[in-house]
Parts: sequence; structure tokens; C-alpha cells
Amino acid sequence: MGMWKMSLLINSKHDPGNNRDLTRKMGMTKKYWTGMDELHHTDAFQKSLNNEMQQDQSVEDFLADGRLKETNTGRRDFLKFMGFSITAATLASCETPVVKSIPYVTRPDEITPGVANWYSSTYYDGHDYGNILVKTREGRPIYVKGNAANGWAGGALNSRINASVIELYDSARLRGPVASNQGTSWSSLDAAIKAELQSANNIRILSETIISPSTQRAINEFSAKYAGRVQHIQHDTYSYSGITKANLATHTKAVVPSYDFGKAKVIVAIGCDFLGTWLTSNIYSSQYGELRKPASGSMGKHYQFEAQMSLTGSNADERFPIKPSQEGKVAAALYAAVSGGSAIAIDGVDASAISRIAEELKANSGSALVVAGSNDPNVQMIVNGINSAVGSYGSTIDMGKPLNLFRGNDAAVQTLVEEMNAGTVDALIVYGCNPSYSWVDAAKFNSGLAKVKTSISFSLYADETANRCKYIAPNHHYLESWNDYTPIDGRTDLCQPAITPLYNTRYAQESLLSWADNPSSFYDYIRQTGNAGYDIAMMSTDMEWNMAVHNGTWAASAMIAETPPTATPPIPTVAQDLTAVASTPLMVADPMNLNDAIVKATSANGGEWELSLYQKVTLGAGHHANNPYLQETPDPITKVTWDNYITMSPADAEKLGLSIHIGQCDCANVAKVTVGGKEISLPVFPSPGQKSGTIGIALGYGRGEGGEKIGNACYQTGRKGDHLMNGDLKMTVGRNAYPLTSLSANTISYTALDVKVEATTEEYKLATTQMQATVMGRTSVVRETVISTYLAEKDKVRGTASYNKMATLAVHEDVNGDDEINNKDKRPVRDFDLWAEHPVENIGHRWGVTIDLSSCIGCGSCITACHTENNVPVVGKDEVLRHRDMHWMRIDRYFSSDFPTVDETSEQKKLGTIAAYRDMEDPEANPQTVHMPMFCQHCNHAPCETVCPVAATVHSNEGLNNMAYNRCIGTRYCANNCPYKVRRFNWFNYVGNDKFAMVNPAQDDMMRMVLNPDVTVRTRGVMEKCSMCQQRIQAAKTAYKVAGKMVADNPKLTACAEACPTHAITFGDLNDKKSQVRASHDDVRSYSVLEEVGTQPNVSYMTKVRNLKETIA
Amino acid sequence: MVSGAAIFDEGDPEKGKALFISNCSSCHKIDKDFQAPALAGVESRWKSTDAMLVKWINDPVAALATGDAYVKGIVDRYKPQYGMMTGQPVTEAEIKDILAYVRSGGSKDKVVTKECITLEDMNAAATEKNSGSTTAWWLVIGVILAIIAVSAANISRSLRNAISEREGKPLMSEDRTYWQATRAWMWKNVVLVSLISLFLFLYVSVVGYKALLNIGVYEQYTPSQPIAFSHAVHVCANEIDCQYCHSSASKSKHAGLPTAADCMNCHKAVQTGTETDSVEIQKIYDAIGFDKKKMAYNDSLAKGPIVWNKVHNLPDHVTFPHNVHVSIAGIDCKQCHGPVQMLTVGRQASIEEINAQTDVPGLIKLTKQTLTMGWCLECHNTATVNIEPGKTSNEYYLEMHDRMVNSDHGLEELRKILADEKATVRELGGWECGKCHY
Repeated sequence: MGMWKMSLLINSKHDPGNNRDLTRKMGMTKKYWTGMDELHHTDAFQKSLNNEMQQDQSVEDFLADGRLKETNTGRRDFLKFMGFSITAATLASCETPVVKSIPYVTRPDEITPGVANWYSSTYYDGHDYGNILVKTREGRPIYVKGNAANGWAGGALNSRINASVIELYDSARLRGPVASNQGTSWSSLDAAIKAELQSANNIRILSETIISPSTQRAINEFSAKYAGRVQHIQHDTYSYSGITKANLATHTKAVVPSYDFGKAKVIVAIGCDFLGTWLTSNIYSSQYGELRKPASGSMGKHYQFEAQMSLTGSNADERFPIKPSQEGKVAAALYAAVSGGSAIAIDGVDASAISRIAEELKANSGSALVVAGSNDPNVQMIVNGINSAVGSYGSTIDMGKPLNLFRGNDAAVQTLVEEMNAGTVDALIVYGCNPSYSWVDAAKFNSGLAKVKTSISFSLYADETANRCKYIAPNHHYLESWNDYTPIDGRTDLCQPAITPLYNTRYAQESLLSWADNPSSFYDYIRQTGNAGYDIAMMSTDMEWNMAVHNGTWAASAMIAETPPTATPPIPTVAQDLTAVASTPLMVADPMNLNDAIVKATSANGGEWELSLYQKVTLGAGHHANNPYLQETPDPITKVTWDNYITMSPADAEKLGLSIHIGQCDCANVAKVTVGGKEISLPVFPSPGQKSGTIGIALGYGRGEGGEKIGNACYQTGRKGDHLMNGDLKMTVGRNAYPLTSLSANTISYTALDVKVEATTEEYKLATTQMQATVMGRTSVVRETVISTYLAEKDKVRGTASYNKMATLAVHEDVNGDDEINNKDKRPVRDFDLWAEHPVENIGHRWGVTIDLSSCIGCGSCITACHTENNVPVVGKDEVLRHRDMHWMRIDRYFSSDFPTVDETSEQKKLGTIAAYRDMEDPEANPQTVHMPMFCQHCNHAPCETVCPVAATVHSNEGLNNMAYNRCIGTRYCANNCPYKVRRFNWFNYVGNDKFAMVNPAQDDMMRMVLNPDVTVRTRGVMEKCSMCQQRIQAAKTAYKVAGKMVADNPKLTACAEACPTHAITFGDLNDKKSQVRASHDDVRSYSVLEEVGTQPNVSYMTKVRNLKETIA
Repeated sequence: MVSGAAIFDEGDPEKGKALFISNCSSCHKIDKDFQAPALAGVESRWKSTDAMLVKWINDPVAALATGDAYVKGIVDRYKPQYGMMTGQPVTEAEIKDILAYVRSGGSKDKVVTKECITLEDMNAAATEKNSGSTTAWWLVIGVILAIIAVSAANISRSLRNAISEREGKPLMSEDRTYWQATRAWMWKNVVLVSLISLFLFLYVSVVGYKALLNIGVYEQYTPSQPIAFSHAVHVCANEIDCQYCHSSASKSKHAGLPTAADCMNCHKAVQTGTETDSVEIQKIYDAIGFDKKKMAYNDSLAKGPIVWNKVHNLPDHVTFPHNVHVSIAGIDCKQCHGPVQMLTVGRQASIEEINAQTDVPGLIKLTKQTLTMGWCLECHNTATVNIEPGKTSNEYYLEMHDRMVNSDHGLEELRKILADEKATVRELGGWECGKCHY
């Protein structure tokens, strides 16, 4: 069998009849691959194919350890020691352990020990926004989920929000106020600051975008106190000012409108990762998930133009790799095509594709949406023009209900930095942002900051900016705070504390108020905000307030009060632009303006290399660098953990002589990137789908370059768990790419069009999981079809559709009754069993899960939710490199590309294969992608169960594959025998081992409070895996039994299902005929992964449906 | 001045006692201030009419509303400290009885509590009966016999040497050690020695195996506690329900310990214990910050929670849900915790103690040691669940029953389960690892 054949989806050897006809007809077949190694079948891949446990390296290292030879412990001594140890251990275990049990003195009424309480609250960090429910146990917040009942877009969250709970306990947080790097008391801090503010002539507040009416009030009150001297400037870590500027130009409103992707039948995204990081991406991904339900008959068509493969691009029906400099040209070409202008040719993009997309946009006028990620106002203006031409305004775009988020003003910050350097700013208050890290010219900001006499930060950590400030007045963590937020007009949400402040911190708002001589508590202040008006009369009564706290939101709307006018003319902020033009009616795009924009946007021409700076789905703009859950969650596309890197097309990398096979032992090569005189050296990751001649670097990394105390997870650790040092400073995880951004025409640009890339001789290990836990090259893992095929066969039953045939085996009896025994006589695999059947069908419960591959966008929310719920340890980069990540839930990302079918003759001759591929298009240039969540399949005929020598993994009569940790002796036979590779072995005592306390603060004393007491913390030498949230199943059963009721269908019971913003995961009781999971399990699209192995999983996958015309086998 | 001698003269103190206890005693004491002023001497203090006193007791608000000067006076004096009195639905005749009881100074005879024997008492009695441990005596006898044996051997050797010397035979070599002698003897009696060795080996193996099985078994574990709390006094004598203090047993997997505030529900009034006077109760006051003299809470006195030593320890990898067993299965606490009413401080009951109980309806007698997995499984193998229509009205189990009845394959299973006419917990999955280990 040829090497390519091995991974063919439709494997003729296994399944000779089912798809052969189809394959012949198409002349093409699909090959799925997880990474470059699998595509090229490297030695490393072959090895990992057969080795479940990648431990060679550590044994070799152990033997190679020089100290081993220096020891003089003889064999006899060793035996003596061992004998003694065993005796001592045995004797020690005889002693009764004394466990303390401490009841409350006075128990709070709402707490029953052992029963969780949920509080609704709201997450906002200046970047991400989500309505949440916080789970607390005995007063400790331990888990965050979306507020499905009252949240915006059903409380859709992303992994950055649901993993944020661990940051509450970070021991690097400041324990109290700081003055000149010395701890101080609040009273002396207040006295000192007040004295300095009295004499300050120019006071500046630099904050994240303020969407809290009460916070804005506090700022206003502070400004009034120091009347005429205060200016408030808002700064977003990741700027969207290009959009606001464009909207000011075309619609006279400097706002980010609200988008509704759920209403769009055609989506065109130009360099825009709206599912992962763009604006309120969690809300958009929820809308997108609703859109892409094939059963509705229409899935929406999604086109993506982008340089490096983004999460959004990987979900697109059609993806066109372009250079960053071509974004404007694509927009202009589309605009020309929809508005009847003259066609614009784009190098590398088929002109017919543009006209095809334009036709489709026009045909779906009123339900189309074009978005661009560019921060260039000109590009955004053209996009506005397209949207205007295809009638998006009023349907998919709502200008009347703009986002209050992302109102940062790059120009204002730039002016501030100039002023600071000129020495005219006497006092600077930094709130919620970190410009010393993320400002486009941080060095200049820092030099200016040094000239500010009174600098104050409200940061929770002594971060890059706070460390350079004279005073730090640490704010509460959001889980310790009251707050009110108006993310969008017509929606006011409340943030409610779930725990008393852990440290001696104080609300930033209270700090501002106390400097304005208002001793009010912020809670009272919020209540007053309500009572004072904001056109919510209903806020006044306690009952209504309590209702709002309970729901986490007010039904009515609230407006944000504007900053009062000051004596010196202030820098026009975005908000003020809005007031100035609020009365003027909306205008449609001015063609004159647009022509100018088109000229500017299309004039850009890139150099040899073009760079785009993007945010990673896991780490965002860098707010969460200290979050080990997020650091260890693999990037959805590259599957790299714990690092940022240069993404480059594999062909380019090869040209530069850089390694394109990155693995456990295969290092990545480091390249030096020079942008406008600034250099950065990062490892190169060959990323399929990357446009040739472009590179991408993720922002948000390299936090704490000055050795700031912002959390252990920001820094790299070595083999012993100690932090790696670079001179006197700790080595950061990744490098900071913000210095590579630039200001052009007063907006921050996240692309660089002329970049130098040089290969270096340096090597660097990247911990990528894409080659881990391979399915051993087996077939039938991923199934996909196109919408027309799906709709044509919609009414068939599971296992009969052409794209989803049940696995069968030929038998020696005349099954089909044609009086002939041949290979047409087949029986389903299910009929061939070595084992007695587990009596689960229709008896008691049979828990199951279905995963809709059409809805799954691969964002990774399920991974972090599973981590927090199930106390899954974080192991650190060093261990991930050794394939020892502990993820119970992983998302396999398969690239696929079309290959010409090799006919039987050439196969027999073992010839022609190479010839057949020679003229094939480069498979890694623009592959299709499938994201496939993979976790324990809870097989009814589980291969792991039969090989366990101690019956530690056994089957339950509810269809679950149970794991009894205390019985496990760690032979790892089960992991070896698992065809899905979902079992994880505890190589270390992660919670007790100092080595891991450095990578995962959840393993130090403080952060251990985040652990879920309902789930055992596994110890060394024990196998673990997804339990289908057994603890939740048991709790639900108990609750219903007590109530005397049958367990109701709860499709979101498991943590992964709960966290999924697109509702791709459905949990339930398969024996409940009315359950959602039963319906989706029986759906025509459903199949079992590796059905031919006969494991009979209780987890089903629903075939991915692409909205494409062409049929793919 | 005394206008209505009638109300303070008549009345039956015996009837009054019962009425006082049910209506007044939660706030009033006779001889001292409690949640409300002491009542002793009320007959001389009351400076208003009898009718007003009746009105005051029945409806204090209405009495105050009449504008009576004395009533207003007492409200002004006591309301800030005690709050407004709650009206009591008692008739005038009953009030007379109560007042007669108050005048009698209350009952002088101590409340007769139930006779409660604790296990400690019983054990102490048992130890007295056969005082002196037999093992110790055996040991002493053994040592004496060993000394005699060694001496005898020495004497025997000396004598034999003396005989040999006289007969001119070579002496048994003087330099032959005891070990060599023993070896020689062992070779001579090789069969006997082998048998003894075999016996010893088997004995040690069996004893060792049993000892190893006992690792982690803590029957009768009785850790010391910060307060000499007596379950006998609370549960047996005063008949307080287990779940009054361990209140989360029916709601949570943890039974929970009473908070200091829970203790104060009674101990604000009960300030002297039956056994330890006020020493132990004072510890509750210290924890919560209660000033006994002023009958008021004072946070500055609070020393914080009482740190108990946990009695029933399960390994971390076991989930034992109390609520499932208490609320769904309806199991008596004593089924697992034994005769707690016979204990002072908490103790892990032994299986013998549990089985010896006679006051537990439907007690399942088990053999395995308590808090071992074998014990859990044994019970799950015996205890039954009502899953059949008519036997239960719990819709959960009825649906479970229906599912089996409605499928052929399930019907088979149901027949298997009900072959012995009962459905045990085990047959419904109670022996599965995932029920308790996750």
C-alpha cells in the first residue's frame, strides 16, 4: 500500500464497496492530515504512530545523567534503604490520620456545605465581555459558565472568560497598596496622592474603554473635583479605531455597530477573525453556530480572505489566501463588483471568484454581511460601502445599537504620550490598561511616564505599567467586585462579587471617589446611579435591584453619562465625537469619500515579506498571560502551546531552509524579523494555508519582560521547574510583538507591508500537540459532505447516507439473497462481537454525547471548561513536549486536501503514485480544515476495559466507561489499547510537586482553592480520562430522585456542552426517547468514529456539512 | 393600690407549670432575666389593673395602645433590650394558673432526664469484671518458663560433664556455643523442627495478612475533641434529632457539623451542663463571642470556629452522599453510625456495636468492618429498592421500571433482578465503581 493510501479517508482495503463508485466518479479523493509530518510521512510521524507513550527521551536522559555514575550507593545499601523505606511507609500508614473539621461559627443562610451556589455576574476586562454565572463552593468561586437564561447571546463565552476564574487566586496579585515600591496603607496612600493632585495642573486618566455608567460617574465626579485639570482618555489594548473612524466618515457616527452574523446568508470576512478574537467574538460565534445548522436547509455561505489561517478562516466554506496588503484591494474589488464599478484584478485571486462572491452578495441583499479585520479606516470605509450596497444596514448591521465597547482613541493616546514626554502632564492615572506593554511605542510611553510626577495605577498586579508608576492602588478582581456595564445601548448588566476580597485591595472607583472626597462605597454608588436616573425608573426599589442582581442584568437600558466639559479644550474622544454628531441624521456612504478611500486602500504594495500581527484565540491581547489553562490550551490551528512564533507557509519555510517538521525532538528554526528597524527573533512554525510571502506573529505574548511579578505562568520553566533565566531576568513565554505595530494616520496598524525575514542557526523547541495522540493513521475518523448531498439524503436513517455508510464486513453466507456468496454479502460490524453485550439499551440510563462537526468551530472553550470542572492538571511546556499533556478534551484539527484517485492498475503496479501527485497542487497551500473534539468515547465494547489487569476501568450499566483511580496501578495498557488515544497518564504528582507549582499556580497553596471538591485530584501513577462529568450526572440523578421525578433532559449537563458557544455538543440519556441527544444520535449525519473497530461508542459525531457546490468524496 | 387580688391569688401551680413551659419559657425565666425580664415578683411589681395584665399578655400592642402609663413604662424600659413581647393565646383562668406557678418559684425538683448508659460506662463495667489481662499473665508465665528451661539446660550440661569427667569420657566441648548445641539438637529432631517451623510460618502469615487487612480500618476511632460534647445527653436524654445539628445530611453529601450559632439556639438558655457544669458550654460562648452575664453577643470576644477532629474519615477518592442515603433511601443514621446516643464524644462504631442495636427498625446486619468498601458493598448487596408500581410512587423508579418492561431485552433483565422478588441496590448498579469514585 502506498504511503499516501494509508491515511486515505476512504480506504479501499477496509471498505471496498461503499465509496468506491463515488471515488471513481470524482476522480479525486480526500486525504486528512494533522500536520506536516503526517502529510509527508516523516520518521517522527511513523514513530508516534506506533508509540502511545513518548517516553524514550526521559529514560535516555535519566541514564545520561552524569550524577548517576557519581553515586556510590551499592546494591546492598540500596536494598537496605528500600527495605527500610517500605517498612517505614507501612508503619506510617497504620497511624490514623487526624483530619480537622471546622464548622462555621454562624453559617450564612444560603450556604449548605457540599452544595454549590451560583451567582450571576458579568465579565469585562476591557477586551472580552460575557454574562456569566459563577459557581461557588463554601464561598470559593471555582467555575464560570455563561448566563444562558439572561445573558447576551445566551451567555456565550469563550475560553478566555471561562478560564478566568483561576486568576482570582493568583498569588502574584498585589496584597495591598504600594507607594514607591513599598507597601503602604490606604490612608497614607490617599493622603499622599491627594496632596500631589492638589498641586497638579494637568491630570490625565488613561483607562480601558469605560462601559460602566457608575464608573463613568466616578470619573466625572473626580474630574469635577479637580475641575478643568482632568482629561479622560480611553485606550484599547487591541485597537478598533479604524472601524469607528470609518463609521464617522461614512455614517457620521464614530461607533462600532452591532453585527448579527445569525441573520447573514452570505458572510465575507477579509482578514477578520470574528469567531476567535474580533470584537465580541464570543457573541458572534454563538450567532454563527445558529446559522450553520444544515437541517435548516441553509447554512449561510462563508468566504474568507486572509493571510494566515485563522480560526474563522478554518471554518470558512471557501478560503482565499491573500497578502495583508491585498485586503484593501479585495474590498475594493468586491465593492466595484457589487456597485457596478470597473473590475480590479488581484494578484493570486481568481477574478471569477470575486465576481461570483459579488453575485451571491447581491442575490442575498439584505441578508449579507461583509466584515474586515483591518484597522485601516479606508478599508473599513470600503467595507461599509459594500455593506451599504448589499443592504446590510438595518438587517445584519445595526448602527442604531452600537457597541459601547472598543471606543479607544489611538490619536488621543498618541497626544498624551507626546504631552508626557514634553513634561506637561503632572499626574497620570492608569486604569485597566497596560500601555507600557501594549502601546505601539512603549519605550516612548515609558520615558514619558518617568517624567510624570504623580503616576498611579489601579492594576491588580505590579505589571509593566504599574511597576513604573509611583503609586499602585490595586483594584479588586472582577469576582470580588460590584459593577454595572452597558456593553450595548439597551442592555445594562450587573457584576456581583462571588467572594469577599482576598487581599487588602480597593475598588478603583472608590479610590477615585476618595480622592474626590466622597467616602461612598462603590456598592452604594452603583445603587445611587440607578436611583439618580439614567432613564431607568425601575432601578429605585430594592426588589427590582435584587431581581437585577439575581438575573445579572437590567431589562431596561442605561446611557453612559459623558465627561463634563473641561476648561482646556479636551482631545476629542470617540464618545464626544458621538455627542457632537448625534443629532445629525444617518448618512449613506459618500461616494467621493469612498473613492478617496479606495485609492488609498489599493495603493499599498507589499515588499518581499508582509507581516500580520494577530491575536491568538487562547491568549487574546495578553490580559491572560498568567493563566496556565490558557497557555496550555493548544492554538486551534497550529496546536502549539506556551509560545508565540512566526507562522509561515511551509513552502516559504523550505525555501529559507527552515525545518517544516516540528515535533518532540525536532526543533523549530528561529528566524529574525525586522520591521522598520525593530527586530524580533522567533521560531518559525510552518502553517498550512498561510499565504506565501506573508508571516504572522501573535500578540499578547512576552508579558513581564522586565521580570515583573505578574504570575508564574508568564515565564518559561526548565526541567526542574525553575524559571529559565536570561541574564538577571526570567525568560518570558513568547516574545512581545506589540513593538512591531505602527501608527499610521493616527490609527494603530497591525500589519507591516515590508518586512525582512532572515533565517538564523538558532533552534527552539515548540510544544505542539498536533502530532500527539494520533489515531494511528486509521480511517473513517472524519466524515464530511456538502449541503446538496446532505439535503438530498436528509430523510434517510443513520448509516445509510452515501457519505455516511455503516461499516460492514463481508461474510461467507448469502446475505443479499442473490444465490451467490461474494463480497456483496455483508453484515454490519455490530454483528461481530467477541464480547457479550452490555445491557444498556433501554435499561436504566445510557448517557451519550453527540458532536456536530458542522457547528464546532474549534475555539477550545470546551477544553478550558473541562479543565476547571475536572481539576485537570496543567503540566507545562516541558512536559507537553514529551506528549504528556493531560487534556481530557482535545480538539483534533485535520487539514484535508483533494488528491487525484489512484486507479487500481497503478496501485497494483506500485507505480504512478508519485506521478499522480507530481502535478497536484501543493496540498498545504490552502487546505480545508475540520475541527473535531475528541475525548473518551465511552465505548460499550471498550478495548481499554478488557486489558486492564486490575479492573480499574470498567463499564457502568449507564453506558459509561468508569475509571476507578484508587484501583489503577498504572500499567498503561488501557492507553495503549485505546483507538481514540484519549487516556492520560499522571506521570507526576502535579499538585504536590514544586516543579509544577511554577508552571501552574493552581498547584500552589493559594490557587488550589480553585479545585473542584466534587472531583478527585488524581495522583502520580494513575490513568485518567473524560468521565462525562460523572459528578454532575450523579448530582442530577440524586436531585431528581429526591424530587421523585425522572431525570429531565439536560443537553448542557457536561462542562464541555455548557461551554460550547455554538451548541455543537449535546449530552443526554440515549434511553430517553424524547431527549435531544437521542434525536441527534439517530440523525442521518451521525456516525461513530472508527466504527469498523466495533467499539460501539456512546459518543456520536455528526458529519460535517460544507456549503459547497462541488461534491467531495 | 392592689386592685385585683383575684388574679394573683388563685390558680393551680401544677397546671401553670405546663402552660408556662409551652407559652412563656422560650423567653421568660422565673428567677433570672433571659430573653425577657425575670418574672419573679411580678405580683408586687404590677401597678396596673388585672384586666390590663390579661390584655398585656394576650395582645401587648393593644395594651400599649390603651395608653396605660405602667404598660408604657415597661415597654419604654424593656423594649430597647428585649424587643416587643409577642401576645400569647391564653385565657384569664390559664393566666391565673401561670402566675400561681411563677409565685411558687417554679419547679424545684431537677428535671428528670432519661437514664442513659453510655458505651464507656458499659465498657468500664466490663473491664472491672474481668480485670487483669490474660495475655499479660501468659507472657509472665512464658518468661519464667523460658528462664527455667535455660537454667535447666545449663544444669543438665554441667551434670553431664561431671559424669563424663568421672567416666573419663571426653567432655562435651566447653567451647560449643548454645547456637551450635541448638543446631545439633535441631538436626537430631528435624521432623519436629520442620513441623514447628511450618506452623510458625502459617501462623505469622495468617496474623500478618489479617494485620495488613486492618490497615486503614479505624473502627472505634475516637479522636479527642475540643469540647467534651456528649451525644448521650443530647440525643438520648434530650431526644434531639440527629439532623437538628447535622442539618445538611438530607440536602448535601456532607452531614455537616453544627455551627456555634446552632448550639446557641439552646445554649443561650441552657448555660449549665449536666456533667461538666458551665466549662464546656463556655467554649461555645468563646467561639461565637457571647457575654453570658449581659446575655448579649459581643464580637470582640469571639475567638472563631471550634476546630473538631473528624471522626468518620473516608479516602479522598470516595464520594459518600449523605443525602442519597437519608433522603432517598430513608436509612436510619444508626445503620451506619451505630448507637451514637450511647456515646459521649463521637466515635466510629464497630460492626458489632451496630449489629447489637435493637432499636433500629429494619436494621441490616452486616459483617465487614465499618467504613471499609466491603462494608458498603455488602449493604448495597442486601438493601432493597422499591422499583415496582404499587411499591413506590417515585416517578424516577417507575420510569426505570417502565423502560425495562417496554423492551424485550429489558424485560429479561427485570426478571433477573426480580428473581428473588426484590431489587437490590447492587442490581440497580450500586456496585459500580463510578457511583462513588470520580
